[in-house]
Amino acid sequence: MTATTPRLEARFPREMSRIRRAGLLQAVAGLLWIAQAALLARAVGGIAAEASADEALWPAIAIGALALLRAGLDALAARGAFRAARAILTGLRQAAAEALPGLSPFDRSRPASGSIASSMAEQAEALLPWLTRWHPARLRMSIVPPVILLVIAWTSWVAALALLLAAPLIPIFMALIGIKARDAADRQMSAMSGMNGFLLDRLRGLTTLRAFDAVDGTAGRLRGVAAQLRRRTMAVLRIAFLSSAVLELFAALGVAMVATFIGFHLLGQLPFGAWGARLDLAAGLFLLLLAPEFFQPLRDFAAAYHDRASGEAALAGLAPLLSAPAGAVLLPAKGQAAAPAPRTGAAGLAFRAVSFRHAGATAPVVEGFSLEIAPGEKVALLGPSGSGKSTLLALAAGLLRPDQGDIFFDDAFLDAQSIATARGRMAWLGAAPHFFAGSLQSNLLLGREQPAAGAMEGALRLASADEIVARRPGGLRSLMAEGGLGLSGGEARRVALARAALNPNAGLVLADEPTAHLDQHSAAAVTDGLLRLAQGKTLLVATHDPALAARMDRVVTL
Amino acid sequence: MKPLSPIMALFWQERRSALLGGAAMMAMTLLAGIALLGLSGWFITATALAGLTSAALAFDVFIPGAGIRLLALVRTGARYGERLVTHDATLRVLAGLRERLFRGHATTEGAEALQRRPARLLFRLTSEVDALDSLYLRVLAPLTAALLVSLAVLAGLWLAAPALAWPLLVLLPLAGGLLPWWIARAALRPGRRRAAAIEALRSRAIDAAQGQVDLLMAGRTSAQAASIMAADTRLAAAEDTLNRLETRGAALLFLAGQAALVGTLLIAAPLAAQGVISAPIAALALLAAMAVLEAFAPLRRGALELGRALLAARRLAPRLREQAAPAQPLPVAPAGLALHLRHLRLRYPGARQPVLDDFSLDVGAGECVALVGESGAGKSTLLSLLSGEIVAEGGHASLASGQPRTVWMSQRTELFQDSLRGNLLLAAPRATDAELMEALEAAGLGPVVAALPDGLATQLGEGGFGLSSGQARRLMLARALLRPAPLWLLDEPTEGLDRETALALLGRLRPRLAGHGTLVVTHLRREAELADRLVLLRGGRVAAEARRGTPDYLALLEQLRPD
Repeated sequence: MTATTPRLEARFPREMSRIRRAGLLQAVAGLLWIAQAALLARAVGGIAAEASADEALWPAIAIGALALLRAGLDALAARGAFRAARAILTGLRQAAAEALPGLSPFDRSRPASGSIASSMAEQAEALLPWLTRWHPARLRMSIVPPVILLVIAWTSWVAALALLLAAPLIPIFMALIGIKARDAADRQMSAMSGMNGFLLDRLRGLTTLRAFDAVDGTAGRLRGVAAQLRRRTMAVLRIAFLSSAVLELFAALGVAMVATFIGFHLLGQLPFGAWGARLDLAAGLFLLLLAPEFFQPLRDFAAAYHDRASGEAALAGLAPLLSAPAGAVLLPAKGQAAAPAPRTGAAGLAFRAVSFRHAGATAPVVEGFSLEIAPGEKVALLGPSGSGKSTLLALAAGLLRPDQGDIFFDDAFLDAQSIATARGRMAWLGAAPHFFAGSLQSNLLLGREQPAAGAMEGALRLASADEIVARRPGGLRSLMAEGGLGLSGGEARRVALARAALNPNAGLVLADEPTAHLDQHSAAAVTDGLLRLAQGKTLLVATHDPALAARMDRVVTL
Repeated sequence: MKPLSPIMALFWQERRSALLGGAAMMAMTLLAGIALLGLSGWFITATALAGLTSAALAFDVFIPGAGIRLLALVRTGARYGERLVTHDATLRVLAGLRERLFRGHATTEGAEALQRRPARLLFRLTSEVDALDSLYLRVLAPLTAALLVSLAVLAGLWLAAPALAWPLLVLLPLAGGLLPWWIARAALRPGRRRAAAIEALRSRAIDAAQGQVDLLMAGRTSAQAASIMAADTRLAAAEDTLNRLETRGAALLFLAGQAALVGTLLIAAPLAAQGVISAPIAALALLAAMAVLEAFAPLRRGALELGRALLAARRLAPRLREQAAPAQPLPVAPAGLALHLRHLRLRYPGARQPVLDDFSLDVGAGECVALVGESGAGKSTLLSLLSGEIVAEGGHASLASGQPRTVWMSQRTELFQDSLRGNLLLAAPRATDAELMEALEAAGLGPVVAALPDGLATQLGEGGFGLSSGQARRLMLARALLRPAPLWLLDEPTEGLDRETALALLGRLRPRLAGHGTLVVTHLRREAELADRLVLLRGGRVAAEARRGTPDYLALLEQLRPD
């Protein structure tokens, strides 16, 4: 048992018990074979005893009815396990999606966006086979073989002994050559999926490869790498497959031993082994029919071995999201999302003796910082990178929480109660605005309701983004390319400006390096737009651009 | 099934003997298992009958006993061999498939599609390749094996008594043909929905992570979480449909097996009573009929996989069919010119207006020209044209002859998960280590590489991970230096570097520009300063031009960003 399973047990007790119930149902369905086997053996016994053909009718009907019952139970179990597992998956995703906003975007130890998305999307899907196959198979393995063994022992202790000898050897041999080699095989198989990595890496750099006429050469490398990997993988698999061969061998030998013993017993050459009685054909055949089913759960379990490793990896992938320390980011208290009617006009901002240290850093990036910004004032935080400009901006927006000191916005202390209202009154302009999957319009509105007539045009004109929209086929309704691809750095920031201008309640504009990496022309356009946006509002800008800083009322050098 | 034909052809061409061998071994495993059970049943019944009479002593136990033991061993051996052969075949197919896909994407169209939506396309590609990988192991091999085994068992039963074969004759086409076909077909639509939902979920999760600040500031985090969960709801619905299909398929397959058993029992009993078959043969027939349908059990998952593979094949078919034709080379420029452009008209794929319109430019052999202008003015598009990435709508473009004709350094760091040597050899496949070190030295990476314990064999991570951004850019410079082309294309070669690093790189680059034409595309003053001539691009045309040493040149430089 691993450490991860109990956590699922604690989090989803109902679902896990439904999965166990599914395993039990499957076990019951498997055990119904005992009755079917008995009926079948009796029918063949009847045939051998030259009974009338009609005597086979009732066993046949009973076998059919039991088959229907088994199919029903199996289907019920499969659906039950799936539904429970799917509910667990949804629950975990929900928890991850809710925890994600609380993970500080400024924390370097936060997993990359791509890996967060993988953990939540395709990797998490691996939980399903693990929960629906591996868990019930393990339960089945602990119930069905012992029961069948007991039934066999009831009829013949020698046959039971033969199976008992074969069965424990399986785990021993599998442990000897199996598990280690299997893990190695898993590693190799993941190296094979590294082939995908190779392919994707080369496709990402396709422009370069084409520019260097290296397409043929790379295709050849791809083939070579694959061939080498194949040879190494096969060397490992040769050993790894021995474990399944052992399982197969003992299962086959178990059946063969039982069949041979019964044959000799029926001939009278081995008259012992049936508790003093002499087995008849029906009893012998019954034992033979049960023997393979004794091994079947073991084989099922071995086949589901893979599912466990990927299921546990899926759970581990979600772990950083599920166990995220709360409080890195100021989140609105429950029920505070719908902010009361906000104030309007310029907002004041005050830092009072604020200190902040990044997690894992030795020195604080901001220490005892105080600054009062009057409503309507335009302030630049000027300083080299690493001087804490962006950190102060993030603190003002509640994206980070100070270790010491207080921050006041609109004369209100910034906390979980006030943050929703406060953010509603802030317009944020980052150096790298994100563009969401969807239309240009939905990217501008970000969930706000349709603005008053003319407001959209006004905002676009203010940001000089109207020509960007006009140039795009489909205009506002055009879909954004992935990550804003196709927009230059300056265009992206002008669109972000328009987005900020669409917030009618904003009283404070926070701009983080709004002109970084822009050409002179674009930088000037963004600066002008920013100042137009900040008219009648308070502006706090973090920058190392002297031209931008020169246009503020006050420059605070860090 | 038609979309699968290019894939099948690829498999076939890749390794037909191994593919067939694997399926044959699989069939042998199954057959040995069936025979083991059948023979055991026959043996027990026969010994029971003999035990009742005086024939017990004369009964030959040796041959059936040895047969049972032999079959147990054969089954084990065949199973082991089958797994080796099928996995080897799968790995070979997988290698061929990746190579083919790579070549397919390396066509102009493929590369364009990839450039528009890189992350999404690459993600989709991964899952589609996975679906095709499992096609042989999960679908083709088990299906072939199951058909071979059922034919063998049918033949055996027919020989014992034709009537015994009837239940299987009816049930086999149902279980081995109709049922998997039905499942695969029914799985197509939910399969497509599932793929779309996973993609949506993934892209919304990326939005939630990457756009976290914007979402927090807009108070939209809960809405984004809700939209992720809405995708999960759609995903759950599609998966539920697929699971219902799988469950139904499993139940039907199981019932078909049980029906074969019951049917054979109902036919065998009167046959035995009539003396057409003996009781031991009846037992053998019963056990064989029951076991043969178990051969189809892997197909219920296989059928779902088949649905996925069909979907993947349909999407990948164009990339698999097309193979990169050599890019149409541009004509040769007049003597003395490295680059000659006249009245060029270029449009960004999908854009309404052309980015270049009636654009003319000459770059002399040995001249360095900087193309400056605001972002989005079409500079990078021009470079894509010259390196054969896109095709012009009108006008004329020609390049000096040479092999290679151009070398290019892009603003994006395009390095690969490979050794340093491998990354450099892309530019010059036949270069010696000494030549590589010389280029690295010239790019200012000599001491860095010399200090690495593995030297040129040092492995870089994905996208060149492991180097600082300055080192990565210098490595790209070294790579460019290895190509003696008549025209160099530099696309913002110091973008994203801090001032010191950028100036050091440009200092390395400057002395290397002599002897060939250079076109620099930039909005940074420090890069434009390399040029003998500045060309200002505005509205898709040349708006101004200035030679070094003229006041206009300085005035144009002044307009550029200083850092």
